[in-house]
Amino acid sequence: MAAPRLPSILVASDGHHSVHAPPGVDAGVLVRDTDLATLVHRAGSDCAPQAVDIDSVAGLGIDDFAVDFVTGRLAIPIVLTRRPQLAARAAGSGQIGLLHVFAYDSTGLRRSLEGHPRCDGVGSVVTPGLVLLHLRDDELAAIPRPILAYGLIDTVEDARACLTTADAIVVRPGLAAKLAARLGADLVAAGAGR
Amino acid sequence: MSYAPPDAADFIERVAGDPRCAAITDQGLLGEALSSRAPVIFILRGNGLSLGALVRRIHDANKLVAVHVDLVGGLRADRAGVEWLASVGVDAVISSHGQLMAAIRHGGMTAIHRLLLVRRNQLDTAVAAIGRSAPNIVEILPGVILPSVVGMMPRFEVPVLAGGFVRTEADVQAILSAGALGVTTTSRALWGTNGA
Repeated sequence: MAAPRLPSILVASDGHHSVHAPPGVDAGVLVRDTDLATLVHRAGSDCAPQAVDIDSVAGLGIDDFAVDFVTGRLAIPIVLTRRPQLAARAAGSGQIGLLHVFAYDSTGLRRSLEGHPRCDGVGSVVTPGLVLLHLRDDELAAIPRPILAYGLIDTVEDARACLTTADAIVVRPGLAAKLAARLGADLVAAGAGR
Repeated sequence: MSYAPPDAADFIERVAGDPRCAAITDQGLLGEALSSRAPVIFILRGNGLSLGALVRRIHDANKLVAVHVDLVGGLRADRAGVEWLASVGVDAVISSHGQLMAAIRHGGMTAIHRLLLVRRNQLDTAVAAIGRSAPNIVEILPGVILPSVVGMMPRFEVPVLAGGFVRTEADVQAILSAGALGVTTTSRALWGTNGA
């Protein structure tokens, strides 16, 4: 079985409506702020998510059982979480774990990284994603990759800029469509190159 | 005679007059902050139970002091913790807990509600919380992205400070141009020197 990979664009969805990644580009769907029944429903639909923010799923435990359920039964290969042990659990089962790293100020970023497991298969979700454009090289180098930029990326220009630093970004469906129209070929190339 | 902090309007006026506030996470930097032009020193780390001497030094330098009650050690971010800070002469208290704003104001101090910018779909909730808590000032983090996101946010009824990754004069100018009252920064070069 091929190792999972992180698409360049994750389209955010609460799972209550059908959200498809734009066709022809390196993109997938991230489900967050939802509930367990909705997540299960979406996982079995024709717009199954590639990623889930596991801490934001009402009804789903925040433990190894939940990670195993999401990555195994639901076949969602990318798990976002605030808990280092759960990110490591996802990576340990051959999937991708992404640990939330909060970048509100330099001290907070350093502290947020202290708990990072820094093991193979565990990357980082940097919140808010837009701040990546303002980090120093040494700060960027300290963040384990792959890096997913998540939050307040609201324009094509911001998205394009963030993708020069991050491996992937989270955007709303409307922006995903605009990106596909304006950067489609570049996004396919970016995905193929990783 | 017990110390009476300035009212919120005076606090805001002091910042407006010199909008670069010094944020310190290490008391070893206090001397440099005291000799700078910064009108307010924001204490973001340290022992909240032994702030008396530090507060007096700051006041003796004709500066104001704001303490982040969620981040300093030794104190709980609750009403009693806020009362403790009032008792040692703190001028302003910062917290992410909206329910503390009333206690801060009741203690005669300036109430600063810290707003963490996370995601667009959480902005409305956060802004509503600020509407309920009625702070004197909102502090936005990370402040460096304020110019990029100001169009997404509703207009606040109170002045805005911006902190977090504010490192260059260009950052400061962009933030002030976006409508902020001032910045809070640990970048010493931005604090300015007296006479400069």
